[in-house]
Amino acid sequence: MPDYVLQTTDVAIHYGGVKALDGVDLTLERGQIRGLIGPNGAGKSTVIDAITGRRRLTRGKVEILGQDVSALGVVERRARGLSRSFQRTSIFGQMPVRKQVELAAYKMGAPDPGADADDVLRELDLDELADVTAADLGYGQQRRLDLALALVGQPTVLLLDEPMAGLSVQESLDLADHLKALTQRRHVSVLLVEHDMDVVFGISDVVTVFELGRVIASGDPAQVRADPRVREAYLGSAA
Amino acid sequence: MTHLRLLLTTAAALALGIAAALLIGSSTVLSLLNQAVIYALFALGVGLLLKQNGMVSFGHALYFGSAGYIVAILLQAKAVPAEAAVLIAVLGLTAFAFLIGLVMVRVPGVAFGMLTLAVGQMAFLTASRSRGVTGGADGMTIEWPSTLFGLSINTLTQPSGMLILAWSVLVLGTAALTLLLRSRFGGITEAVRDNEERARFIGIRTVVPRAAVYALSAAITASAGVLAALNTGFISPEALHWSLSGVALMMVVVGGTQILWGPALGATVYFLAKDVLGDHAQHWMAIFGIALIGVIVYAPHGLSGLLRRLVVPRRPKPSALVSGIYGGRVRRSH
Repeated sequence: MPDYVLQTTDVAIHYGGVKALDGVDLTLERGQIRGLIGPNGAGKSTVIDAITGRRRLTRGKVEILGQDVSALGVVERRARGLSRSFQRTSIFGQMPVRKQVELAAYKMGAPDPGADADDVLRELDLDELADVTAADLGYGQQRRLDLALALVGQPTVLLLDEPMAGLSVQESLDLADHLKALTQRRHVSVLLVEHDMDVVFGISDVVTVFELGRVIASGDPAQVRADPRVREAYLGSAA
Repeated sequence: MTHLRLLLTTAAALALGIAAALLIGSSTVLSLLNQAVIYALFALGVGLLLKQNGMVSFGHALYFGSAGYIVAILLQAKAVPAEAAVLIAVLGLTAFAFLIGLVMVRVPGVAFGMLTLAVGQMAFLTASRSRGVTGGADGMTIEWPSTLFGLSINTLTQPSGMLILAWSVLVLGTAALTLLLRSRFGGITEAVRDNEERARFIGIRTVVPRAAVYALSAAITASAGVLAALNTGFISPEALHWSLSGVALMMVVVGGTQILWGPALGATVYFLAKDVLGDHAQHWMAIFGIALIGVIVYAPHGLSGLLRRLVVPRRPKPSALVSGIYGGRVRRSH
C-alpha cells in the first residue's frame, strides 16, 4: 500500500451551475513531486484551494497523512504540515524579509525558527536581502519570498501555485533547479501547478492533467506527454 | 533601538518631563502641557490601533469618557476605594473592548470605522440621557478622596504634579508598548495587518490578535480618560462625543503612525497650534485644517515620518545590491 501524504477523494466544488472541480481523485506520495497542468480555468488552482481549505468542498474529502481534514480550516491544515505559495504573490509588504520568514517558521513550530529562516533564505538567494522591507524587493525576489514563506518550518506537503509566473525562461529554470534540490533535501512532497512545460516535465515525478474541473490523464511525464488526449486538450503539437 | 538605548531614552524623557514640571513657573503653560500630554496618550491609543491593525476608529472617545464616568459613579456611590475605581475603569474597559473587539475586528475597512462611531455615539446618548446616573448633559463632579495610591490629591491635581504624573504614564506606556511590539505579538499583529489571508496560511489565527490590539488601544485611551478626570475633577457627555475621537485621529494623522510616538507629536502640535493660532484667529481650526491637508499631501507618514527621513539615512533599494541569480551573478546551491 503506497504511503500517501496527501489524498483527495471525489473532491468537487460547484458554484451554482459551474463545476470548478468535479470528482477529483489525487494522491501524493512521500517525497514525490506531482505536476498539475491544464488550460486556464481547468481547476488547477481551485484544487489547491480545496486542499488547503481556502474554498469549501461541495463534496468529497481531503486527507493528510491518512487523516480527514475536510472539516478543518486553513490554520488547522497548516498545523498538520500543509503549506502553499500563491499564484499572485502574497507576502507581508511592510515587514523585512527575514522577520516574516522567521515568523512563519515559528508558527510552523520549528525548534529554531531563526536558523530555519536563515537556511531557507540562503537556499533561495534571499539572505543578502534579509533586512530589506518586502515591498522594496523586485518581482522575482518577491516570488522567491512567497516561496520561502511556504517552505519554512519543514512542511510535509507543499502546494505551489505557478511559482514561476512572471519570471524569465532562465529564471524559471534556475528556480526549478533550486526547488528540486530544496524539496529533496527537506523531504517535502510537492504538488506543483505550472504553465511552464519545461519546468513541469523537467522536475516532476508524475504529471496530472486537468480539463474542465476533471483529471483527464495522470502518470509518468513521458507517458502523459505522449497521451493523445493530453495533446489534443492542452499540449498541442509543440509538446 | 536596543534595550539599553530604550532604557536610557526612557530615563532621559522622564527626567525631561520632571524638569519641565519643576522649572516652568507659569500655571497656564503647565495646564496647556497637561492637556497636551493627556491627549497625546489618547492619540497613542488611537494610533496603536491604526499602526498595528490598520484600523481607523471613530469611537475611541467611548473609552476616554467611559473611564471618567466609571470612576465618577463608583466614587459617588462610595462603592470601592478610589484606587480600585481607577483599576476597574481601565481593566474593565479593556476586557469590554476585547470582547466586543472579537466581533468588531471581523468587520473590514470603512464598515469598522462606522461601527465604532455607532457604538461610541450610543454611549454618548446614554450618558446624555441618564440624568439619574450620569447627571445627563450637565455631567458629574468627581469626588476624589484626599489620597490616591498613597499620593496627596492636592499634589496630583496641581499643574506641576499632574504633568509629572501624566508625562510618566505617557513615557512609561510608550516604552512598554515598544517592548511589546518588538515581541512575537508585535510580529504577529503586523503580519495580520499586512496580509490577513497570508497570515492564516502561515498558521496565525487572526481574530484574537486583532481584538487584543483593539483592547490594548482601549486600555491606553481609558488611562488617558482617568487622567483627564483627575485633571479636571469633572466628566460630561462631551468626553464621549465622536468629535473628540476625530480630534485624536487628526493628531494621529499629523504625527504619523510609523513611529510609536508619532501620535504624541501630533497632539503636541495640535495644542501648540490651538494656543498660538487661537490667540490670533477665531477660526484657528480652519488654519489647522489647511496644515493637516499639507501634511497629508507632502508628508503622508506624518511629522514623525518626515523627521525620521531627515535623521535616518535611506538604504539603497535592492537593485543596487548583489542579489544572486537575479542580480546577474549566478549562485549555486551548496
